[in-house]
Amino acid sequence: MSKIFEIALGIVTSVGGFLEVGSITTAAQAGAEFGFRLTWAVVLGGLCIIFLVEMAGRFAAVSKHTLVDATRERFGFNFFVIPLVTITLVNFLVLAAEIGGVCVALEFTTGISYPWWAMPVAFAAWLLLWKGTFGVIEKGVSLLGLVTVVFIVGALKLRPSLTELGANLLPTFPGHDASRYWFLAVNILGASITPYLFYFYSSGAIEDQWDESDLTVNRAVAGLGMGFGSTIALAVLVIAALIFQPQGIQVAHYGQLPLMLTRLFGFWGFILFTASLGIACFGAVLEISLATAYLIAQGFGWNWGENERPQKAARFSLVYTAVIFAAALLMVIGIDPLKLTNFSMALTAATLPLATVPFLILMNDGHYVKEHRNGRLSNSIVVAIITLSFLLAVVTIPLEILGG
Amino acid sequence: MDLVRDVLDKQLLDRNRKKMNKVDGIVLEVDDHQPPRLAYLEVGGLTLARRLHPRLGKWVAARREKTNSIQTEAFRIPWAHVRGIGVDIEVDLDAEHTPVFAWEQWLREKIIRRIPGSG
Repeated sequence: MSKIFEIALGIVTSVGGFLEVGSITTAAQAGAEFGFRLTWAVVLGGLCIIFLVEMAGRFAAVSKHTLVDATRERFGFNFFVIPLVTITLVNFLVLAAEIGGVCVALEFTTGISYPWWAMPVAFAAWLLLWKGTFGVIEKGVSLLGLVTVVFIVGALKLRPSLTELGANLLPTFPGHDASRYWFLAVNILGASITPYLFYFYSSGAIEDQWDESDLTVNRAVAGLGMGFGSTIALAVLVIAALIFQPQGIQVAHYGQLPLMLTRLFGFWGFILFTASLGIACFGAVLEISLATAYLIAQGFGWNWGENERPQKAARFSLVYTAVIFAAALLMVIGIDPLKLTNFSMALTAATLPLATVPFLILMNDGHYVKEHRNGRLSNSIVVAIITLSFLLAVVTIPLEILGG
Repeated sequence: MDLVRDVLDKQLLDRNRKKMNKVDGIVLEVDDHQPPRLAYLEVGGLTLARRLHPRLGKWVAARREKTNSIQTEAFRIPWAHVRGIGVDIEVDLDAEHTPVFAWEQWLREKIIRRIPGSG
């Protein structure tokens, strides 16, 4: 019984962790501009993150190391610095975009423009991290995050053609705007395969003292949680495809996004969209700030842990404090949250090999994972999707910058 | 034991199992006609800077001299203090009484403690 409860809780928290500003907006943009054609990107991204999260949990449970600890130990400090710096920078930009997402949701409800909300949002998130414990944060925010299920309800209400969705499970060349199409594909992949997610997950597994008896729970949570999260992203794409595309609405501004639910549910649609965006992004703000503090603290061997009082982990607490407020500054000075979201998601995709290749090597190292090494299937799926994301990112980012 | 695999860059724990940074460096002593002997573990930013690039190491060392920093050399833990090597490396020291915790203590006293709700 307790195992089932644990799995359910795990799924809820991973759904909460999966959905954030990147997955919502990139799926909405893709649906609005290309109908169902980018379905394959959502599915591939979802598949890849399912495998990576499962690996992160398995790695922590068997080796008793967080991913960061093991990366430094196995590859040495001189190599470790490269992913450390890169992932910290990418996390920082994504964090700013998530803060932007919460601010935009608040702008929808109050009419006060988003830069004014950045510092209050940062303060609220900081206060929760400062005063709260891991369980409260993770479970509380994730439970609220279930409001995003509204997207699935909306998509079902529209009765999308399953044959048409299925026909787009394989990439096809678009008839128009090819560079935009591939850029959005990169965005979706970057939004789904977020390194902070599996770094965070491996730290959580260590904090909860997982061992090999948790492997079944881990597999269920990773598969169902990330799978469910991807389904919601797919639902966003479906709604955008069926509501925005026929009217030629392209998502060029956040203000257009709530339309996707108001057409379906009227005023409640507006409320539900705003709540979904706000809560999903706020959850992501907490996770990314913590993930960045974990990364740095574990990298240098400082005391870390969300359950530690700040006085017991001064350097760790300083990192998340500094990161949250510094990222909020990007919103205060009025950087466009939508553009930042697209940019940071594409950047995530471009830097994926740095975060995943050392991880894959560790997953095949018997010194760490003993007999629980990766099988050929999981190795090849992750390598294939990461390679595809990386190549697409390297080709399309310059095109988008030149063209856009 | 493989020094680079089993010791270098591993997590250090003090005698209260408190995390006290990583093994940032290893110091070997070479006596004539004897095989090299593992003498110390080094901990600290200076060691890391030296590992990244000798010039960066020199620059950090020079800065520390200039600012009259208490810690002008990397902190060394004699190998004899090592109590066990497993997932982490445990040493028979109290981290709070070593320079490794200087920055942690400074932050705790000067900044973190002054913010409400930190304790």
